[in-house]
Amino acid sequence: MHETIQAIILGLLTGGVYALMASGQTLIFGVLKVVNLAQGALVILAAYLSSSLFVSFGIDPFLTVPIVAPALFLLGAAVQWCLLRPLHRSDASQLSLLVTFAVALGIEGVLTLVYKSDYRTIQPSYANRSWTVAGYRIGEVRLAACLLSLAVLGALALLLGRTRFGRAVRATVQNPTAARLLGVEGDRVAALGYGLGAATAAAAGAVYGMVYSFNPNSHYDLISRLLSIVVLGGLGSLGGTVVAALAMGVVSALVGALISPVWSDFSFFVVLLAVLLVRPQGLFGARLRGAL
Amino acid sequence: MRTAAPVAGFVALLAAFPFLVTAPWLMTIALFTLMYAVLASAWNLVGGYAGYPSLGHAAFFGLGAYAEAIWFQHHGIGSGLAPFAVLPLVGLAVAAAGLPVAWIAMRTRSDVFAIVTITLLFVAQTLAYNLRGITHGAQGMAMPVPDFAPATFERPFYYAMLALLVFALLLSWAVLRSRLGLALLAVRADEDKARGVGVPVGTAKLGAFALSVGITGMAGGVWAYYLSFIYPQFAVDPLVTIAMVLMVFLGGRGTLWGPVLGAFVIAPAQQYLAYQYGASQLYLLGYAALFVLVMLVLPRGVLPTLADRWRRRRLRADVGPEVAVEQP
Amino acid sequence: MTAPLLEVRGLGKRFGGVAAVDGCSFGVQRGTVTGLIGPNGSGKTTLFNLVTGYLRADAGQILLDGRRIARPDPARLYRRGLCRTFQQPRVFPDLTVLENLLIASGHRWPALAGPRARAGDRAAGEALLAEFGLAALAADPAEELSYGQRKLLEFAALLMSAPALVLLDEPTAGVNPTMVRTMERHIRARHATGTTFLVVEHDMGLVMRLCDPVVVMDGGRVIAQGPPGSVQTDPRVLDAYLGG
Repeated sequence: MHETIQAIILGLLTGGVYALMASGQTLIFGVLKVVNLAQGALVILAAYLSSSLFVSFGIDPFLTVPIVAPALFLLGAAVQWCLLRPLHRSDASQLSLLVTFAVALGIEGVLTLVYKSDYRTIQPSYANRSWTVAGYRIGEVRLAACLLSLAVLGALALLLGRTRFGRAVRATVQNPTAARLLGVEGDRVAALGYGLGAATAAAAGAVYGMVYSFNPNSHYDLISRLLSIVVLGGLGSLGGTVVAALAMGVVSALVGALISPVWSDFSFFVVLLAVLLVRPQGLFGARLRGAL
Repeated sequence: MRTAAPVAGFVALLAAFPFLVTAPWLMTIALFTLMYAVLASAWNLVGGYAGYPSLGHAAFFGLGAYAEAIWFQHHGIGSGLAPFAVLPLVGLAVAAAGLPVAWIAMRTRSDVFAIVTITLLFVAQTLAYNLRGITHGAQGMAMPVPDFAPATFERPFYYAMLALLVFALLLSWAVLRSRLGLALLAVRADEDKARGVGVPVGTAKLGAFALSVGITGMAGGVWAYYLSFIYPQFAVDPLVTIAMVLMVFLGGRGTLWGPVLGAFVIAPAQQYLAYQYGASQLYLLGYAALFVLVMLVLPRGVLPTLADRWRRRRLRADVGPEVAVEQP
Repeated sequence: MTAPLLEVRGLGKRFGGVAAVDGCSFGVQRGTVTGLIGPNGSGKTTLFNLVTGYLRADAGQILLDGRRIARPDPARLYRRGLCRTFQQPRVFPDLTVLENLLIASGHRWPALAGPRARAGDRAAGEALLAEFGLAALAADPAEELSYGQRKLLEFAALLMSAPALVLLDEPTAGVNPTMVRTMERHIRARHATGTTFLVVEHDMGLVMRLCDPVVVMDGGRVIAQGPPGSVQTDPRVLDAYLGG
């Protein structure tokens, strides 16, 4: 029982980080209707940048986020503006998907050239510290990571709910044609949306680098997990994504603790396949679509 | 048959190649070029004809490689040419394994399909690492090194790949000529409408997927025997998927010869660069750059673009300039 | 009165909080050209989508030939003789005009392994193209057809399955007057050989000439039905159209 509850705590904390990573993905899908296969690579890129800033300049990994996020925002906006925007064709959605895949490869290639393919982690002094509350261990980094994720998610929700940009995004998500007629500039919103999605990867990357070891190749399994979460949450629904991320965090932590750590990653795909079998539109697809 | 003669000539040239060129490194390049032509043609059946972009075909390539290796561990049939004889079984086994996957993945549309297939890569790798009793995990699996003469060591593998390529092309041609081909083109254009005119879209998609991954698996089997040692990270390599997709897009999706053209351009270049410079991390950048370039500049691929240009020129010549002016 | 060829009972479908179809019931008698009219947004196209299996109903029943269809599926219904056109004509642009007919011949899956065109299919397709005046275009890609020609092609393709009931969604919307008459002629010709039609149409002149009976929908339910003359003078119908 103790073990189970410990696993659930760990799972919720991990799930919070996944929620952050996947929310960027969901935002991009909502705005562009494109599954962004580069999201995992963006997270890994951010992890490397954060790691470099920490190692070279001694900047605390959490404090690297405000430095890395604008850089990734610009990168994301540039990807949309230079690579995705020109694809105005009948099969643009398929081509866009593959272009984001190419972007992931490009990022992986650059990272391999610069950093080689050794595994690394970001190790601040507090990396392995933890609190014990009522007999349960709570890692400091994981808790801080989860809180940061919640803070970014909250900021994202405020941005979408309360600002002009947010209204434009929501209008674009619901009805691109009508939004254009009302003077929302689709391309600009898309670029900002992609940039914002990439910027959330910056926060996620710093955290990811402290919790897991990574190399340039890690984006494949990361994107697989993120995509499982996004599908589970019903593509394009922010609320659904958060719930799905927490659920997947808990499920994989439980599998890891009670069965074997080897199979904990695997639980993502079992759940993904099971969900697609029962509800091809995702768990929350029908109810929460448009809730973004 | 207007095209029969050039095709026969092409195949004859490929068949004669090992006798014209003997340098082993060139034979290796030729072998991998044929392999990628097979893989690209196979991918085209799903990604090109049906318009479902699979990003997980490398998983089935790896499955074929492991199937071949596992067969040998358990049956230990000497070496020599016998391993080629089990390839059809490997193909059938991989096709059968692909069916349930396709059944789940293709209930949804191409976005989710791409997602499911990309996760397959990771699933296959995880299985290869962790089912140690079957795959020996990270240690990899060995197959007996065949006793072919060193000077012509590549030849049997080359001809096996050539046979697979001929098979893949014949199959692609037959599919295009069949009602299945018509159904797949309809699915690619408008799947909902296709259902509305009674096309059994589910069966058509499953059939195409099974054929496609079956061929992919057989290529994996030959590859495994050639290397005689396989590791999870090389047997299930995302780069293999990327290469297939890129070759098909470059040559022309949904055409018979486009994938072959794409493979014959990209694979030798990639192998040559690897051989000369050994800079494997540059592959990624090269692939990424070429990928983006093709998408932006030549999204339909070489062959359809050329065909279109040729058809327009002929049309203009037929109609004559004075009629063209009347067009509003 | 015999059982209707198609009957819907209490059919309902909501999108979010909005009921697009709300307790809709009516029947289509065999051998009729039944008109389905109503103001924009009255649920006609949603009803088509429910009946042909493109949407799943939240409530109610669909009966074809007196038998309940529990899980409507477009492909299976097509093979049972129920088919439809779309408001915006949907043809396969990469396929030739003739292939657009061949693909619609409604064979079950074993035929996938066979040739693109069986001899019988080809003959039937060519005969239909001749009937619809599209024979000269048989080998052209369908994307080269005009809007009106696409509407004709979409309709002609359905006839490959010798359907019992054809649902036409605004067959003459957006086409020129000559094409309206051509379309009307083809509907009449096919009606004469025993095909039943359910037609959504905004051209009231055409509805009054062609359809009997006429079913009127408003707000997702049937508000009137009967011969065209009586429907035309029904005060509820006038209210619906004039926004009373």
